Amino acid sequence: MNKLLDLRFVIGLFFLVVGVLLLGYSFVSENKARNVTEVNRWCGIVFILFGVFMNILRKSADKVNDKLS
Amino acid sequence: MKLHLIDYLIIALYFLFVVGIGFLLKRKIKTGNDFLMSNRSIPLWITSLAFISANLGAQEVLGMAANGAKYGIYTAHFYWIGAAIAMVFLGVYMMPFYYGSKARSVPEYLKLRFDEKTRTFNALTFAVMTVFSSGISLYALAMLMQTVLGWNFDVSIWLAAGIVLVYTYLGGLTSAVYNEVLQFFLIVLGIAPLVYIGFHLAGGISGISNNVAHAKLHIWKGMDSPEHNPMGVDAFSLIFGLGFVQSFGYWCTDFLVVQRAMISKNLNSARLTPIIAGFPKIIMPVIVILPGIILLALQKQFSGFDLPVNANGATDYNMTLPLLLSKLYPSGILGVGITALIASFMSGMAGNVTAFNTVWTFDIYQSHINKRASEKHYLTVGKITTVVGVLISIMTAYVAKGFNSIMDLLQLVFSFVNAPLFATFFLGMFWKRTTSNGAFWGLLSGTAAATLTHGLTVAEGKGGWLGHVHTFYSGVSQAFNIAGIAFIACFLVTVIVSLMTKPKKDEELTGLVYALTPKQHDRAKVCYKNPLWLGMIVLLIALVFNIILY
Repeated sequence: MNKLLDLRFVIGLFFLVVGVLLLGYSFVSENKARNVTEVNRWCGIVFILFGVFMNILRKSADKVNDKLS
Repeated sequence: MKLHLIDYLIIALYFLFVVGIGFLLKRKIKTGNDFLMSNRSIPLWITSLAFISANLGAQEVLGMAANGAKYGIYTAHFYWIGAAIAMVFLGVYMMPFYYGSKARSVPEYLKLRFDEKTRTFNALTFAVMTVFSSGISLYALAMLMQTVLGWNFDVSIWLAAGIVLVYTYLGGLTSAVYNEVLQFFLIVLGIAPLVYIGFHLAGGISGISNNVAHAKLHIWKGMDSPEHNPMGVDAFSLIFGLGFVQSFGYWCTDFLVVQRAMISKNLNSARLTPIIAGFPKIIMPVIVILPGIILLALQKQFSGFDLPVNANGATDYNMTLPLLLSKLYPSGILGVGITALIASFMSGMAGNVTAFNTVWTFDIYQSHINKRASEKHYLTVGKITTVVGVLISIMTAYVAKGFNSIMDLLQLVFSFVNAPLFATFFLGMFWKRTTSNGAFWGLLSGTAAATLTHGLTVAEGKGGWLGHVHTFYSGVSQAFNIAGIAFIACFLVTVIVSLMTKPKKDEELTGLVYALTPKQHDRAKVCYKNPLWLGMIVLLIALVFNIILY
């Protein structure tokens, strides 16, 4: 429950899901124009990395809080 | 612009998340203080991003891209002169009074410093201003969705208002603030790819230099006369009217943004909030202004990038960002871009509703109607006010639909009210001789001066409804000069009336006035924890940007 209340987790999860959607769409999209697939693929990867980064931030903050308490 | 299933999925996902945040926070809300002030428990990184995001509404995102196309890089003055300095001043000098006085709102600080009538005047004007602003955001969102996507106007209004209502009703200010942070990342990450794609398509720096008018690519050249620069302003009215009066009047006194700092965990975090927000703020021109300049370069090199004309036959610069989204974004990332636009409108609306809520409940209801009710009672009042605030916003949106000019009128009235405010706060915080009567009559005089100046001057066919004494070169120049005149009028009347009336005793002003407040010595030796040092770094970076783009 605490995890769900952590905004870093929520933001990370949102961008992770959107990133996966974009990345997946870049492979299945009927529009195979190179620029279309490239834009969605790269944006998807960036969003996934951002989502992972936010969760890493959350975990390291949790570790610091655990040490302090 | 046609959206596909993937785009709608992303929009739906965003709605699910914002409502979900409201549901998750519901169990933490037990008292009026939790609902309206987040119990002053919000971490620094959230308050900083919410501080900038509360301002990152539709007018900012759409409006600055429009200004980028109209005025070029001159628009960056709204950030590097018109925001950075005031944000640093707020953090370093004013937050100790706002936070240290334990005031729950800006009007409440006015009550502690002056008296109830000054507080009530500010509370009433702010409450009206902010709830109508919320309605204008809603109207603008619905109009944009109708024009660009072909969505039904009524569906857009009720859907957006309904979602904002759900998450603000459930989670109060905390929910609005959390969603503002999500919206900040969405706006930045949703529009950054557009800037990247457009920049490369336009040919990079050389492509922009070769295809955009030289005057629009420099930030200070041509300031000797309004006729020599795209914005039609002179250096004095820019620096005094925008850089001092309008900028400080907004960033230092508008409760919508100041509230985000006031809910910090402690005083140091409250001081650091606007300063840390200053870092992304001074870089925001890359996200919000550069698209407008990129469009100018693309118009010269490719067909299909012409802006539409509005009903008056003038170029509709507000369509700059939607046009770029439709031309440069394929389905998929287009859904993200549209969601970012929707997020900017909704964050503006939610911010206004929660600020209205706090001011209504504490400064009007608790002060004048029911002074000694329980915390649970004020929680109920807060929730009812949220519903009423959203309903008034919806009503305003429909009125604006029927009378389009009402938007211009409302925004004009807001500028009259805001313009003199900073003089009142400045004198109140730094001159202990300022009296309650001085503050009240100064505020009224400043507002009257702003109204008169608009009524007697003309710019771009607007104003001059009382007479025609002077013509300003541009609407922007008129606005800056109105702000300057209102400030001077408020300042002078406040000083004169204060010298003729009795001030409060020194004991009553401790913690509220600079000279009578024990100075807080910043123990933080490292610069990244020290508000003054961090503020200097923000200003230095802004200065470097000004030099590079001179």
